[in-house]
Amino acid sequence: MSKGIISTVLIFTLLLSAALPALAQGGGAANGAGSANSIASVLQPNSAPLVNFRIQFMTGSAFDPPGKEGVASLTAAMLAQGGTRAQTYEQLVTAVYPMGLSAPLGWQVDKEMTVFTGASHVDNLDRYYGLMREMLLDPGFRTEDFNRLRDDAINFLKVSLRQSNDEELGKEYLYNLIYAGHPYAHHNMGRVSSLEKLTIDDVRDFYRSHYTRANLVIGLAGGYPAAFTKRMETDFGKLPSGKAERRRFEAPKVDAGTRIEIIQRDTLSTAFSLGFPIEVTRAHKDWPALAVVASYLGQHRSSNSYLYQRLREARGLNYGDYAYIEYFPRGMFQFTPDPNLGRQQQIFQIWIRPVEPQNGMFTLRAMLYEYDRLAREGMSKEAFEATREFLSKYSNILTQTQDARLGYAMDSRYYGIQDFNTYMREQLAKLTLEDVNRAVQRYLKSDRMRIVVVTKDAEGLRNAILKGERSPITYNSPKPKEIMDEDKVIESYRVNVKPESVVILPVARVFE
Amino acid sequence: MKTKLLSLSLLLLCLPLSVPAQQQERRLFPYNYTVDDLPNGLRLVTIPTDYPNLVALYIVVQTGSRNEVEPGKSGYAHFFEHMMFRGSENYTPTQRDAILKRAGAEANAYTTSDRTVYHEVFSKEDLDEVMKLEADRFLRLKYGQDVFKTESLAVLGEYNKNSASPFSKLYEVLRGTAYKKHTYAHTTMGFIEDIKDMPNQYDYSLEFYRRFYRPEYTTVVLVGDVNRQRALDLTKQYFSEWKRGDYVASIPTEPRQTEARTAQIDWASPTLPHLAVAFRGPAYSDDKKDKAALDLLAPIAFGPNSELYQRLVLREQKVDALYPSFGNQIDPELFTVYARVKDPKDVDYVRQQILDTFKRFTTETIDQAKLDATRSRLRYGFALGMNSSEAIAAAVAPYIALRRTPDTINKLFNLYEQITPQDIRATASQYFTENNRTIVTLMTKAGDKGANKEAKN
Repeated sequence: MSKGIISTVLIFTLLLSAALPALAQGGGAANGAGSANSIASVLQPNSAPLVNFRIQFMTGSAFDPPGKEGVASLTAAMLAQGGTRAQTYEQLVTAVYPMGLSAPLGWQVDKEMTVFTGASHVDNLDRYYGLMREMLLDPGFRTEDFNRLRDDAINFLKVSLRQSNDEELGKEYLYNLIYAGHPYAHHNMGRVSSLEKLTIDDVRDFYRSHYTRANLVIGLAGGYPAAFTKRMETDFGKLPSGKAERRRFEAPKVDAGTRIEIIQRDTLSTAFSLGFPIEVTRAHKDWPALAVVASYLGQHRSSNSYLYQRLREARGLNYGDYAYIEYFPRGMFQFTPDPNLGRQQQIFQIWIRPVEPQNGMFTLRAMLYEYDRLAREGMSKEAFEATREFLSKYSNILTQTQDARLGYAMDSRYYGIQDFNTYMREQLAKLTLEDVNRAVQRYLKSDRMRIVVVTKDAEGLRNAILKGERSPITYNSPKPKEIMDEDKVIESYRVNVKPESVVILPVARVFE
Repeated sequence: MKTKLLSLSLLLLCLPLSVPAQQQERRLFPYNYTVDDLPNGLRLVTIPTDYPNLVALYIVVQTGSRNEVEPGKSGYAHFFEHMMFRGSENYTPTQRDAILKRAGAEANAYTTSDRTVYHEVFSKEDLDEVMKLEADRFLRLKYGQDVFKTESLAVLGEYNKNSASPFSKLYEVLRGTAYKKHTYAHTTMGFIEDIKDMPNQYDYSLEFYRRFYRPEYTTVVLVGDVNRQRALDLTKQYFSEWKRGDYVASIPTEPRQTEARTAQIDWASPTLPHLAVAFRGPAYSDDKKDKAALDLLAPIAFGPNSELYQRLVLREQKVDALYPSFGNQIDPELFTVYARVKDPKDVDYVRQQILDTFKRFTTETIDQAKLDATRSRLRYGFALGMNSSEAIAAAVAPYIALRRTPDTINKLFNLYEQITPQDIRATASQYFTENNRTIVTLMTKAGDKGANKEAKN
């Protein structure tokens, strides 16, 4: 057992229980990495009638063996959506049905993290936990579940991503492109060709070698009873001890120059994503500075940001335009990011929502023009102060549910920073405009830009890029002189790319 | 990694109230709320919670695509929602954004067929300023032709990004096939030809505002770290001058359906076949039993725990998604089952299995135990979702649009308690008839271009 910091709020718990809870504990959240046998945990006890679980394993798709891309994700799916040795998945679904749940567990696999999420009303806690424990610790690895879940993964890539959602297609493919040759290179769900070859033994092997105590972090929040953590410690202590996989992921090797890949697909509109690697994560001292820049440039799904105001509001180009410094999947379906997507490597990204194809070339130029402007000029004092104030309050919204607070606390543990809200408040208070503009110069000036476009007339767009002719835009209403003048610059803005770096990719080859 | 002391727990200890289970069974919505009506017809619902610091403000307007009665004007409720962000007499959009930014607010809006909801979550100290800002756009919206035309393009962009999904098309065709006169025939986005004509309809947009953005159609919902008096004072201060309107939409009644209907969609790019099997169902009600009976049947017959799901999805594995959809609507709504079929050759089989399941429950009486488990599921499902002030406000808003009070939630769940297996069978046999049915099938144009084959190239 590791030594934890026992806070006053837990003293009551400790007095009541016969033995000290063996999970490492801190003032509501802690981790234990003191000895090989300990299980790390983040605990947030309170009096809520709801208990949230986040059972995290420090493994993910970056640990997929070569040729077996998708096994990390399929393993997690087998635990969360498959039967146990004693019960079929049908029986598990039936058991949680009266508890208000459609499925017993949620799951998420990212490059370095796998998390199982669960929730229970305290009324049902014992029964619910019993099922969850059985699913994670005594999986059935049944062939019928394997066939179904492998089909689901393949269809997710082939149908849901390639053929139903141009925005997520472009955003995900951008990561593949930037991380080519890197353990992050493939989609978290795998590749179609490798998924087709996976076997149930691959899944068993992955479970055995990666679902270990050393990789485990138990996250627990809510009105659970005092002895509950001890029970979890005993149960999850049955996992093999394993070696902590503190594998280091280096920055990707990205060739100099801009590269544009145009995914050709029969679609009505044209979607854009731009990005390049940054060395800054939440663990880095300059992360708060870049967080301010990203929020200013393109706060997710918010009209309070520069790109949105210039491209959507002033010009009506599309539905929205945003910027990111952390991976944020499924952004078209949600307003706040999911926790437990921590990574050692991140990218800076601009997401331009689909535009009318005739405005494609203008939009590409506008995106580059705005990016260059930011890299050249940085932020104004006024913009900096307003954005800083926004973010220091907004962290309360990001963490407004018990489940989100738990997830953020686990991510703070991963990055080695204090509680997220305190961290943001304190770091933002110290931040100056000079810090932010220095960070822009240092991290956001890239000569290794990658751009992904999804469009029908890929050849036409490629030709337009290479010819470099003017691409004026016409509007359905008069525009202020300032916009018209800027358009004159944008319509001829140089797209600095070599012909061999503008590549057309049929959609059927993406994620293959 | 170093052990870190995180300091959330003291905060968390002050958090939500535990609600005794027996109280929940009587009153599903456990929060003490108040309802106050202003003389102009505006209603205020205040729901104080123990979640600290934040306030969720939801302004619910009882208008949506259902109210788009004139031909050529589909999509206006939604378009109008966009225009509500484009300036008012005392605030330009830039000023509005600046205020919300300083408040650290998350601000957005959405439109459905029956409601338009404007929502913000922000720090409690900014409540006064946000209420003042919100009132200005509801009382004194102001935008020019140029801004209107530009915003219409953002709506087109929204339609275009949605159009990549076969499901959007399936839903659009289902509505258009099942409804012939009622405005539920068009989706909230509207018909594409109407969206393209939006730039020319500036005057109609002003008319839409004049008709529906009125206090008698609007409810202000405040949830979180706020008390009734403060909420009422601010609402009176900023919304009292708002004038009551005089317009009542005349929504055409959908005539009785007299024949089974089908539609087929040829999808241009590779996808899996999608199916929608729908029956004309009842409208929302918290006192008549038929909607409640079918609400209980939906998860029993078609949910993840249903015999059909377990067979088609888990055992036979012919379908990778299957779910029922039966929303609470002001007017009679479709009870729809959606399925995505893994192989085009199984489409007929799957469709028949879904139809047989509908038929089965018109004659078979379900187990009492299953019914009780379903009631439990609805209760706990609702309770589990109430995990922040914003979540509470979001959960309440649809009911506010229907009945203007959270009490309808308690009434509805009390109604669920009274439903018997016989009620469910009788209601199913009343609604699940061939003449009430619409089936839509979406498939890739040529079968040999199906998604399962395309990747082999």
